[in-house]
Amino acid sequence: MNRVNGYNSSNTHGMSRRQLMMGGGALLGGLLGAGALSGCGGPAAAATAEQLKFWHLLSGGDGIKMQGMIDKVNAAQHEFHVDPTVLAWGAPYYTKLAMASAGGRPPEVAIMHAARMPGYAPGGLLDPWDLSLLAENGIRPTDFAPRVWKGGELDGKVYSLALDSHPFILMYNTEIAQKAGVLASNGQLQPVDSPAGFLDVARELQKATGKHGLSYGYLGDGAQMWRMFYTFYKQHGADMVLAQGQPAQVDRDVAITVLEFITSMLDDTIATRSGDGGTAIAEFAGGGSGMLFSGVWELPTMKTAGIPLEAMPIPTLFGTPAAYADSHAFVLPHQSSLDEAKRRDVYKFVSDILKGSLAWAEAGHIPAYQPVVTSAEYEALMPQAHYAGAADIINYDPQAWFTGSGSDFQSYFAENVQNVFLGRDKASVGWDAFIKRLDTLLSKPNPV
Amino acid sequence: MATQTLARPSRTTPAAPARRSRKKFPVARVAATAVVAVFAVIWLVPFAWATATALKSETEAAATPISWVPASGFTFDAFAKVLSEGNIPLWTWNSLFTSAAITAITLAISALAAYALSRIEFRGKKLLMGAIIGSIIIPPPVLMIPLFYQMLSLHLIDTYWAIILPQVIAPAMVFVLKKFFDQIPRELEDAARVDGAGRLRIFWLIVLPLSRPILAAVAIFVFIGAWNNFLWPFIATNDSSLLTLPVGLQTIKSAYGIQYAQNMASALLAALPLIVVFLFFQRQIVKGISTTGLAGT
Amino acid sequence: MSTSAIQRRTEVRAHDAGAPPLRRAAGKRRDTLHGWGFAAPFLAFFLVFLVWPLVYGAYMSLTGKSLTGANGTLIGLANYAEAFGDADMWRSMGNTVYFTVISTVPLVLVALALAALVNLGLPAQWLWRLSFFAPYLLASTVVSLFFTWMFNPQLGLINDFLAAFSIAPVAWLNDPNVAMWSIVIATLWWTVGFNFLLYLAAMQNIPQQHYEAASLDGAGSWRKFFSITLPQLNPTTALIVMLQILASLKVFDQIYQMTAGGPAGSTRSIVQYIFETGFTGYRLGYSSAISFIFFGLIVVLSIGQFFVTRKRSA
Repeated sequence: MNRVNGYNSSNTHGMSRRQLMMGGGALLGGLLGAGALSGCGGPAAAATAEQLKFWHLLSGGDGIKMQGMIDKVNAAQHEFHVDPTVLAWGAPYYTKLAMASAGGRPPEVAIMHAARMPGYAPGGLLDPWDLSLLAENGIRPTDFAPRVWKGGELDGKVYSLALDSHPFILMYNTEIAQKAGVLASNGQLQPVDSPAGFLDVARELQKATGKHGLSYGYLGDGAQMWRMFYTFYKQHGADMVLAQGQPAQVDRDVAITVLEFITSMLDDTIATRSGDGGTAIAEFAGGGSGMLFSGVWELPTMKTAGIPLEAMPIPTLFGTPAAYADSHAFVLPHQSSLDEAKRRDVYKFVSDILKGSLAWAEAGHIPAYQPVVTSAEYEALMPQAHYAGAADIINYDPQAWFTGSGSDFQSYFAENVQNVFLGRDKASVGWDAFIKRLDTLLSKPNPV
Repeated sequence: MATQTLARPSRTTPAAPARRSRKKFPVARVAATAVVAVFAVIWLVPFAWATATALKSETEAAATPISWVPASGFTFDAFAKVLSEGNIPLWTWNSLFTSAAITAITLAISALAAYALSRIEFRGKKLLMGAIIGSIIIPPPVLMIPLFYQMLSLHLIDTYWAIILPQVIAPAMVFVLKKFFDQIPRELEDAARVDGAGRLRIFWLIVLPLSRPILAAVAIFVFIGAWNNFLWPFIATNDSSLLTLPVGLQTIKSAYGIQYAQNMASALLAALPLIVVFLFFQRQIVKGISTTGLAGT
Repeated sequence: MSTSAIQRRTEVRAHDAGAPPLRRAAGKRRDTLHGWGFAAPFLAFFLVFLVWPLVYGAYMSLTGKSLTGANGTLIGLANYAEAFGDADMWRSMGNTVYFTVISTVPLVLVALALAALVNLGLPAQWLWRLSFFAPYLLASTVVSLFFTWMFNPQLGLINDFLAAFSIAPVAWLNDPNVAMWSIVIATLWWTVGFNFLLYLAAMQNIPQQHYEAASLDGAGSWRKFFSITLPQLNPTTALIVMLQILASLKVFDQIYQMTAGGPAGSTRSIVQYIFETGFTGYRLGYSSAISFIFFGLIVVLSIGQFFVTRKRSA
């Protein structure tokens, strides 16, 4: 919108544009004119304020929430004006962000998944955050859960500042759980601490719905497969280290156990064998199942669906509390010629957003900024408050230049593991092929 | 006078086929018209459906069962919203500016080079000619990686220059122009030379005016190509204020999410300029494409 | 004026011929200067933005260069060796060839059929030209937006139309077995008008005498088409087929925009693979190597085409 303003303030552009529209431009000219007029209504202050370009990949409900938060910050002061650009989630966004950073004229600030940061920072595509400048704006390391803060660090520097953590969680339908008799007296799902126990609960829920006990969509979606797998893998206390120049260090036995456990859930009774994301969401939202494995970001959809909803961290079935998560985090793309004043405005903008991230919690995400999470308002936010503890048990992707949300890593996982989930391949076959793929990548020099 | 001698006999468009068929095969002609008409309707459906969608409210656009006419009537809301909130006017300007610049530079440098190849005997001419013809087969995508790196090194990424500069090299067009210049009688130039005119002057005063049809054809071909080019501008620019229309449209798709009416309104607004130009200059554009279209080999 | 021009030309020629050798040499030098002078602006762009990237790309393909500038050292032919063993590269190459085959055939045949019908002397030629050619004037993004919408499984016009014949909804862009065909449908709609125009122009250039002679022999429309029109169009067809193959091999836009190469990589073209290894995977050196393998394919095809057309015209 402000682009339109800036553009029309230049008479020469307007003139030549109009002239060039001559021939058949009556209709087009009229439409453009209409757009220009409505665009001119913006605040005059925007013309004098510093323009901060801000890229993010949040669309749908997240996008609307983010726009609301930006508008609020823009309206609250006159020194700067944040001008967001939204690009498609996943590869298109990260490709463009890298190209823009390499090109030297990137946006002043951008949102990135924390787990993607190691693919950018070492190559000089990102500038580190200055802790003293953050402190000036009232943001300190102690304001973040330790795991979340650590997720933004690389080689002793802080490259990404988390806005949230968005773990993989378990949502459930209390009405169906009640009917199945798996609800505890406090109105929450009865505690389970073993794979067999969990499958029993799921079977009870299946009897209650008559369809499925659990919804989990993964078909064609490497991210979903990886989230579930990594949650249970980490619950075994197993580690995964991806160091360039060495083969992947993984616990093969654990991985195969986990893959087999997941496959055992996808038996067309507990859960459908071949569900994609949309099917799973529709099934759970329509009362066709009692539980849903999903990211926190599906919460608004489920609330809109109007089902009696509860949510919790994924139960610890293998001994160690753990959940897969990533964070939307603010990063400073490297500027070839840094504008100090703009950089200062970015710190102000980011700290304002962090402090106002209660609004972000409404989209389901767990705010990273702890003063928000410990506030009474957040405590009252249901069911968000019931899974806020997941922030303490989250695990980001193993650090490597090619891992993280929407990365090739997840596509490789999908290519090799989808057939295991579908029951067409043995778990060991899929896993070994995946590791072979990783080893090929790790054998090459790090391109970052 | 001179242009008449230049008219290439191969490009005349005889009206004869019409006469022939009308005389002998009225049934075949009616059947052919019917078949072509069906195809034409099919070809117009995507435009019509996009227009119908763009004129609906978002709710109506996503309603099932689908219908051409929304129950609540048509509305211009989607167009208004896209124009007031989006960057479409700015992107249109970017496309217009860069395509015009590309066309102007391409025409200037190609015509000069073609003139040299057509008229001047100079050392190394064969080599130059060979290089230009040979380069026709280089597909632009092969160069995208090194070109991007080159633009990085020149600090031109995210500038108009990055969009324009690599797009002005059109070896095939040099070839087309050379072939046309070859047909201009040398007598006309010799006369001027005797009068003491220099080469540049002859080129400007005699050759270019005689070459208007081919210059127009090349300009049309180059302009359409530049206006619709996606891959290179997509690589060369990231800043939303510098995007051309095709690249900008790609970003709104994700920003608007599932707002079908707005998507279609944006697409139609992006399509409008060239379609309108086509309606006005159909004859020239069709002729231009027919003249230059096969030059790629 | 033209007579005097010819006179003057002869004068000039005579003058040149009679000039002393020294002056002729001077004239040659001047011509060389003028020749390169006229070519200079084009040549400058040509060298800087075409020849240099080509040379530099060839050099990069021998290095491990990354988007961030790291690993710029020479590694010999390692990238090429890796590419030849890269299953994803071969898959993208296969997809590209598949697309080229299944798009070139309809793009040539439909264009030919439409042009032949319109050339029968239909009324309102401008209307048909407009209908078939207008899509060619659209940016790929517009075409992709139109067709993503037409192909929408629930809200799309095409599935709605098929439902009228009790045909179950097709997942046009989401089924790996169908997606490439959907891309072809959109591409056919988009670019068939270009070939149509070229064919129409070529048909209108066929001398009338051929048809008149055939009419005297009592030939009907069909026979005329197969015994006169088609053979006369041979050179045009050869060119159109070749241009279409080269254009289809370069496919990127509509695929990237409509399916992003999916589902499950079933529509990823070689140009998209180059784009992704270079810009998403940062490996500029490796993607340069793949670029040159792709270039090699095009060169081989072009040389083949050169010999085929030369044989025909001989």
